[in-house]
Amino acid sequence: MTSDGVLTLDGPAPDVAPEPAPLLSVRDLRTHFRTERGLYRAVDGVSFDVRPGRTLGIVGESGCGKSVTSLSIMGLVPEPPGIRAGGEILFEGEDLLKKSRAEMEAIRGDRIAMIFQEPMTSLNPVYRVGDQIVEGLRRHRALGAGAARERAVEMLRLVRIPSPETRVDAYPHEMSGGMRQRVMIAMALACDPRLLIADEPTTALDVTIQAQILDLMGDLQRRLGTAIVLITHDLGVIAETADEVVVMYAGQVVERADVRTLFADAQHPYTLGLLASIPRLDESRSRLQTIEGAVPAPNAMPKGCRFSPRCPLADSRCLREEPPLRDLGPGHQARCWYAPIEEIRA
Amino acid sequence: MRAALAQLPLRRRRGASPFLGRLLRDRLALAAALVLALITLAALLAPWLSPHDPFETKPIPFQPPVWAEGGTADYLLGTDGQGRDMLSRLLHGTRLTLLIAVLAVALGGGIGVLVGLFAAFYRRLDGVLMRLADVLLSFPAILLGLAFAAVIGPGMGAIIVALAVATVPDVARITRGAAVMIMGQDFMEAGRAVGLPDRTLLWRYLALNCMSSVFVFLTLRFGQVILIGAVLSFLGLGARPPAAELGMMASQGRDALLFAPHISTLPSLMIVLVVLCANVLGDALRDTLDPRLRNT
Repeated sequence: MTSDGVLTLDGPAPDVAPEPAPLLSVRDLRTHFRTERGLYRAVDGVSFDVRPGRTLGIVGESGCGKSVTSLSIMGLVPEPPGIRAGGEILFEGEDLLKKSRAEMEAIRGDRIAMIFQEPMTSLNPVYRVGDQIVEGLRRHRALGAGAARERAVEMLRLVRIPSPETRVDAYPHEMSGGMRQRVMIAMALACDPRLLIADEPTTALDVTIQAQILDLMGDLQRRLGTAIVLITHDLGVIAETADEVVVMYAGQVVERADVRTLFADAQHPYTLGLLASIPRLDESRSRLQTIEGAVPAPNAMPKGCRFSPRCPLADSRCLREEPPLRDLGPGHQARCWYAPIEEIRA
Repeated sequence: MRAALAQLPLRRRRGASPFLGRLLRDRLALAAALVLALITLAALLAPWLSPHDPFETKPIPFQPPVWAEGGTADYLLGTDGQGRDMLSRLLHGTRLTLLIAVLAVALGGGIGVLVGLFAAFYRRLDGVLMRLADVLLSFPAILLGLAFAAVIGPGMGAIIVALAVATVPDVARITRGAAVMIMGQDFMEAGRAVGLPDRTLLWRYLALNCMSSVFVFLTLRFGQVILIGAVLSFLGLGARPPAAELGMMASQGRDALLFAPHISTLPSLMIVLVVLCANVLGDALRDTLDPRLRNT
């Protein structure tokens, strides 16, 4: 077990040193979509905490609900077809799901900011990048045009864009993907938010740029004390940046642990499958492991454990009854009847 | 040849399209723009350029243009059936026709753009607004012209309203199509994530990004509106005599087509020229402003 940080549990608080109160506390969040083919439970009872200045990683494959979770926090789920089916999102003690549109608009970009997966298309092509940063700034801060522009230049310098004084007047199409992602980060951090949600921030970038962007985010986090929710399907990114990890599958949290525990002692067959499917340098393998099958269709969710159709361990009980998220140790929980699993051959 | 080509300013980098073909297109567009500008200028200055009063009748009807037998230098393009100077009437007619088209496109295009933007931005309005547009679309412009002429009475007002109404649904659909594509772009969500209000997102994010494709369509539409307007005038629904309007002039000359063909053909040729230039210009604009080519 690691010394740095233990997750707050749902149950009675463990007798360890007092934790700082969570900045963001998602409680049993349910975001559903009404579609022509029935109700789609994209997020179905997700809970996690993010503490100030720390990084929470959310991992899962496409369609597991991780992006919808982040959009729910931002209040950006389109309604309809989205439905707030339940739960609460406590940010600095206030439930974001109860906020009005105008209140959410005032919070977005100021206290909670977000960066997106596609830097190539996330900037308005008809704007100079500086004007885009300025627009967000002036939405939330009473700044004059000159002061806002100075702040924009300062932000571009902070994200290490070379010659920010001239770059501030560049159009997005004059920049590379890595540069644009830096601009996105500058824009997101311009109002000094407490929480930054990064939805696959490096997926669209090539590997060397990925490392630069992750370094930059880590560095800015240490300097500014921003908490980060990092959404990714890349366990390598998680290993490098996250303090705590939530593994999602089919709209639910299937495992939750601090990052070292997760990599050393994962307890859910899905997490184990994900870990086994990463290429490693210290083992020679002819073929990478894969998890057979795909995430179940939203209208054909299995009755019992949602992972049972793909699980090598599944038995009749798994097909019948849905396992609860069970405590396995301090800050470590898994949603599996078999957990803790000591030995598994997936 | 190669040296000459190398000296030409390259305005945008393009890989795929053959360079000479593009150049030719651009030259054609340049020519169209020039001709259109000249015609517009002449139309604007019609009261000063006209050698005669376009409404004054002289006892010399059906006089042929200067290059035909019996023509005189005093009436360069001859006179019409009432002995009015054709050149002066052509200038004034072009002026009125262009004015009708500009007003109709501005009015109909403006409303259409608003409808399309709102339909794309507020998804709840989409169904209602677009079905209304479909209803309008199912009336041919000429029928609309007849209807408005019956209600308002034939004349400039009726024809402008009819052309504008006929323009709204097409523009609304084109705008909505472009806007729906923009709505799906990540920067719309990124704008929301910065906390920008709907007002900013609608105008500065959505509208600005749609404008290039809408503008192209409006340019092409301008040509069509002139054509439909001329048809309506030809049918007697537009400008009232003795006003000069190209469609009406073409209509008035058709009885004399066999012995004084210039009365009908000159205004018709002017219509063809303006419409052709507008279309060529619109096509070229589409090629250069196409948002899909902008990122290259």
